[in-house]
Amino acid sequence: MEAYLLNLVILISIYSTLAVTLNFIMGYAGIYSLAHAVFFGVGAYAGTFMAMHFNASIFITIPVAMLAGAVLSLILALPALRVRGEYFVAASLGLQVLAVTIFSEWKAVTGGIGGLIGIPPLDILGLEVFKPSQFIFVTVGVLVIVLIIINRLVHSSFGRSLRAIRDSESAAAAFGKNVPLIKTISVVISSALTAVAGVLYASYLSFINVESFMLDTSVLIMAMVIIGGTGTQAGPIVGAALLLILPSIISYLDFLPQTEIGSIQQIIYGLGMALLMIYRPGGIVGRKKQSEAGKE
Amino acid sequence: MLALQLMITGLQTGALYALTAVGFSLIFGSTRIFHFAHGATFIIAAYLFYFVNVSGFGVTLGVIAATAGAIVFGLLLNRFVYVPIQRDEGSFFTVFVASFGIGIVIQNVVGMIFGRGYVTVQTPLSFSVELMDGLYVSPLAWISMLCAAIFFGILWCFLKYSNLGLSLRALADNPDLVRVFGLNPRFISSCAFTIGSILVVPAAIISGATTGLNPAMGHHVMLISLAATIVGGIGSVAGTLLAGLALGLAESLALLYVDSQWTEAVTFAILFLFIIVRPSGLLGRSAAH
Repeated sequence: MEAYLLNLVILISIYSTLAVTLNFIMGYAGIYSLAHAVFFGVGAYAGTFMAMHFNASIFITIPVAMLAGAVLSLILALPALRVRGEYFVAASLGLQVLAVTIFSEWKAVTGGIGGLIGIPPLDILGLEVFKPSQFIFVTVGVLVIVLIIINRLVHSSFGRSLRAIRDSESAAAAFGKNVPLIKTISVVISSALTAVAGVLYASYLSFINVESFMLDTSVLIMAMVIIGGTGTQAGPIVGAALLLILPSIISYLDFLPQTEIGSIQQIIYGLGMALLMIYRPGGIVGRKKQSEAGKE
Repeated sequence: MLALQLMITGLQTGALYALTAVGFSLIFGSTRIFHFAHGATFIIAAYLFYFVNVSGFGVTLGVIAATAGAIVFGLLLNRFVYVPIQRDEGSFFTVFVASFGIGIVIQNVVGMIFGRGYVTVQTPLSFSVELMDGLYVSPLAWISMLCAAIFFGILWCFLKYSNLGLSLRALADNPDLVRVFGLNPRFISSCAFTIGSILVVPAAIISGATTGLNPAMGHHVMLISLAATIVGGIGSVAGTLLAGLALGLAESLALLYVDSQWTEAVTFAILFLFIIVRPSGLLGRSAAH
């Protein structure tokens, strides 16, 4: 039971990191990305590659993963952000589909469909971290650091520019804000932080393959943000915890077919997304009414 | 000869892409609803036909069931999801998320009923006939192209000459003016959903016999529809048609150079190129921002 809870908390903190970074671009910049799992995967593969071939120290694997995530997001962001929201949804969906093909074909780095096994544990200043009881401090620590970074950004002038863009792009541009640049920077920051979660995930499971980084994962992360509350601080974490606890709740309910847990989970959060959008677009943590927006 | 073979296969794929994408483009262009569950309409139509056909009720009943299913789904979604959302706020994002959620539900419900693997509709029409030396074409290729031609012919006449078609185009231009003019935008958008959903049906049925069906293929359908809508130019039905055909051709001809798992990459490359170079699309008005 204790091992189970440890595992659950570690996974929740990793997915919370993913949801928080996605929320940063979705909730504050109004960029709806269906490719978040791509940057998660890039971080995982890049960190693993460094750990297996050069050095497993986190002071090497994490910076390399962040750099890889940032560079790739730049390729997507530079052209796509110059146009409207619909275009970014399409471009990110395309990138997600393309990335799955690359992850399963580029055998030298990703190990193909079979994936990579025997990924070394995290090396923090010579200390090898692999026991869940130690790992939990790393993942929760990273989540806290990411939260602090994003909290700082959101409450800086940069964050105000972002919200101005979300609410009205033309108004922000009229006030002399460089809209494409601000959006691009936010996508790059978000992707680099996402890549960190990838490194932790790969090292924790010591096994990764393409199945962790497919469209379903991107959708799951998006659902976490939306159900928790887009544009709120606690929302993504609430959403991540809820959606990860959901499968265990379903498995306690005996009248549901146990082989279909994955499907039932997806049906529940799909319905949840639709119903929330009709009755409470702000999510669980979000504001109830639009009229309270001015209090922010 | 290989190039000619791939060209005909490409036209077959392109005709089906064009039908699906025009359905989405028509709905999005006239009502401004980002109908991401269009992929789910495709799945519903395809699996209804498959189910009726496998149960031994024949093709005609299958087509009727698929068409009815697609229309009912489109209208229900519009009535019970999009209309309530748009009454309050109706930002692009809210509609997209709701539509997306419904798409996930449909994908998994269909997966639980019919299984997550591929199923195919068995028909003698999918057997290829050797036309020339080394050129194999199945009757389904001609049927796809013929279907596309007939449906687009009717659609063109409808949009051009009927009053309803005219009001659809008016709704795309200016919804407020439509209201001022005494027309009911709610009714017109229901019509857009009906027509858009009908256009998916032939593509869904034929795909069941050619590529096979999978509950998760809704996302592929959406990628194609979005790509064709953007490449063709948002709001332009003719542009989407051309772009759908072109995407099918490009995917097929790309097989001359790359392996089949990279065909979706070709779609993505074309989409990306257009977003960078010509965001307003082939025939669109320059309204990318």
